[in-house]
Amino acid sequence: MSTTTANGAVRSQTGGRNLANLALRLRVTGVLVFLILLCIFFSLTTSTFFQAQNARIIAFNAAILVIAACAEAIVVLTRNLDLSIGATMGLAGYVTADFAARNPGIGPELVILALVLGALLGLVNGLLVSYGKLPSIIATLGTMSVYRGITYIYARGQQVTATQLPPWMLKGVDAMVFGIPSLVLVAVFTVALVAFFLHYAPLGRTIYAVGSNPAAGHFYGLRTDRIVLFAYVFCGTLAGLAGFLYAARVGTVTVILASGWEMTALAAVVIGGVSILGGSGNIVGVAIGALVLATIDNGLVLMGMPEFWRMFIQGTAIVLAVTVDSLIEGRIQAIFKGKRRLGQQQ
Amino acid sequence: MEFDRERIQIGLPRLSLHDIKKSFGAVCALEGVSFDVQAAHIHALVGENGAGKSTLVKVITGLEQPDTGHVRLDGVPCRFRTPMEARAAGVTAVYQDPKLFPHLDVAENIFMGIYPTSRFGMVDRRAMYAEAERLLTELGMPLDPRSLIAGFSVAELQFVEIVRAISTEVKVLILDEPTAALTPSEADRLFQIVRQLREGGTSIILISHRLEEITEMADTVTVLRDGSHITTQPASSLSEEGIVQLMVGRSLQTFFARADKDTSKVQEERLRVENLCQQGVFENVSFEVHAGEIVGMAGLVGAGRSEIAQTLFGITPPTAGRVVLNGQEVTVKNPHQMLGLGMAYLPEDRDGQGLVTALSITTNITLPVVSDLARLGMLQPQRENALAQQMATDLEIKAGSLEQAVASLSGGNRQKTAFAKWLATKPSVLILDEPTHGIDVGTKVQVHRIITQLAEQGLSVLLISSDLPEILAMSDRILVISEGLQVAEFSRHEATQENIMFAASNISKAHKL
Repeated sequence: MSTTTANGAVRSQTGGRNLANLALRLRVTGVLVFLILLCIFFSLTTSTFFQAQNARIIAFNAAILVIAACAEAIVVLTRNLDLSIGATMGLAGYVTADFAARNPGIGPELVILALVLGALLGLVNGLLVSYGKLPSIIATLGTMSVYRGITYIYARGQQVTATQLPPWMLKGVDAMVFGIPSLVLVAVFTVALVAFFLHYAPLGRTIYAVGSNPAAGHFYGLRTDRIVLFAYVFCGTLAGLAGFLYAARVGTVTVILASGWEMTALAAVVIGGVSILGGSGNIVGVAIGALVLATIDNGLVLMGMPEFWRMFIQGTAIVLAVTVDSLIEGRIQAIFKGKRRLGQQQ
Repeated sequence: MEFDRERIQIGLPRLSLHDIKKSFGAVCALEGVSFDVQAAHIHALVGENGAGKSTLVKVITGLEQPDTGHVRLDGVPCRFRTPMEARAAGVTAVYQDPKLFPHLDVAENIFMGIYPTSRFGMVDRRAMYAEAERLLTELGMPLDPRSLIAGFSVAELQFVEIVRAISTEVKVLILDEPTAALTPSEADRLFQIVRQLREGGTSIILISHRLEEITEMADTVTVLRDGSHITTQPASSLSEEGIVQLMVGRSLQTFFARADKDTSKVQEERLRVENLCQQGVFENVSFEVHAGEIVGMAGLVGAGRSEIAQTLFGITPPTAGRVVLNGQEVTVKNPHQMLGLGMAYLPEDRDGQGLVTALSITTNITLPVVSDLARLGMLQPQRENALAQQMATDLEIKAGSLEQAVASLSGGNRQKTAFAKWLATKPSVLILDEPTHGIDVGTKVQVHRIITQLAEQGLSVLLISSDLPEILAMSDRILVISEGLQVAEFSRHEATQENIMFAASNISKAHKL
């Protein structure tokens, strides 16, 4: 019999600790730096970019996307997706606009209809994902078509024109309050609300927990299903708001209102530093992510670049952001899968 | 904690288990386990892999419900339906693999679900960080409550779990293999804390494979074997040797006695492994397997045996070392390459990694050789069927039809299908990872006979098994792996359950040198 003994201590490895930790912290800072670099780039390449008026245009254009991205982020934080967010905006926006057209003289309480519709559509998504146990990407891919289809059936080939909408709706979105577009104020308010909720409400914290490690959530006694359901309802409600604002902004509301927004919203979310794998990121980052997209849009127009560059850059940014996420996540999971990690023998 | 002292005097047990039974299908995990855990005691729970320790912990903490029997906490019968209920009653387990939220900070991991709240039910973050700081200081852990736990070492994660456990009143703290991934100094630190908790009146159930830890730390030792309670004794009355004997005490059932091989003829060497390393997982593993030889690889769960097998098979290529297969030096790259060179690996998780359970037996068997069976890129059903039929007959796979989905088969027949799948590739070296895990005794005998027949036909077999009698009965030589290191090698005649178990558990002594 031969026995080999260890020549020295085999130590657990703590290397990589600072990397993963730092990376999670720096994701949002990274987006901000990227936005600043973008601004510097466009300021140098165009003469019209660096102006107060242009900043206002960018903020105005980004406002609705910021709200949609906040909505999407809530769901993404739980390690799920909502691909139906554009269709939700479309259905809520169209039905609300149509309702306004049929009921001339209706006041700002109209927005409640959009919020309720959005919440209901979110509820359906949430039930499918949390209690139906469908993978969220498939469930919401399905409801994306269903919601858009319902909009088509409801509209019967019609559209709602600007003249049919209440004047306050059209004026409201273009109004300025203390020199700031009202839409921007709504977006800032939404960001503040969602950020506060996610940071200070116990329910908000559990949204992070569920996305970070669903298995641990079980051991902590978290009611994962309800938390995910809530996230979808919250997301739907904000999507309803975004759909209403978008309808008011475009004036002529058609059945394809906000189609394709699921990708733009998702892009803003991942560029803004929310991990597509759930559990990490913050809402301020998401707002910056939406600003990045709006800035790219704006800058490219000023540079006279063709539209497809925007898609190219948006797509590249998504892939890069998600790659960074997977790398960070890989580091984290190495320990969390319970794999022992030994150091070199000394 | 005044009342704790009282209880010690009265002698009422803190936790009392009575006739706990639990089966999973046909497998009986716990067969009427009864014992008491005293207040302010460190109570060690020991047993081999599969002795029922984990199931018992799950029953105590409400993750599993016992079939019969009951648990009493301070004399009051209790049946927890979830870990949260157990926790609310003061019973908490800390597992070896952390059940925490990597993206959140230390304080949030401690208080998730039980946040201190301020007005309007919002989280009082200031109070949360202050309280976390206080608890961490109390236990002498230099962790920043604001630090994200992503990238923490296993030791630090365990500390966070312990702080979480004691953030509410804890009566019984269960530590499942707490030191398995810790350095000696981290383990010492942990045990200081454990003693500190005991002083405070908490009962600690300590599950550990490290015997010297048990004799050093525990007040009482309970031994489980094959789901049965063997003994509960004061630790002072037991030696390390005594514990090992109680753990493995079962008589060697000669369910399959493999005839001793004629060792005078030296067969050709099929596989030679020199200083194989997988950084951070195992180191300097060296052995060779000759034609017709069965080499057993023993060790505790998590020792790195499966990882060694998976490295040899190219699933996670080695970071260093030399592999010679059939006299040819090989740079291990991927499973496809290793299959082509005549190596096959039957994984432990046969449903997850070994079989496509939704497909038919035929499809599963022919999967690895499907391109050889095809002509001009088209499958030849008659050749497929012929091969599957022959394999099924050879291995006595019992099924209504070979078109039946693998999912509908019994565990034993699934295992045989997995065997057939790899044998269809005509390997020269076969690595078997826990081939009889979770299958009934009758099929086990058949599997053993198949393995023996294969070896007699000249196949080289590397047999990984946690079943000591199995490895003793089957192997020509036995390697013992412990914590990623090859710690011993025994010939068939030298090996006993005791000396294998010792080699597998005692590595930590070497650590402390």
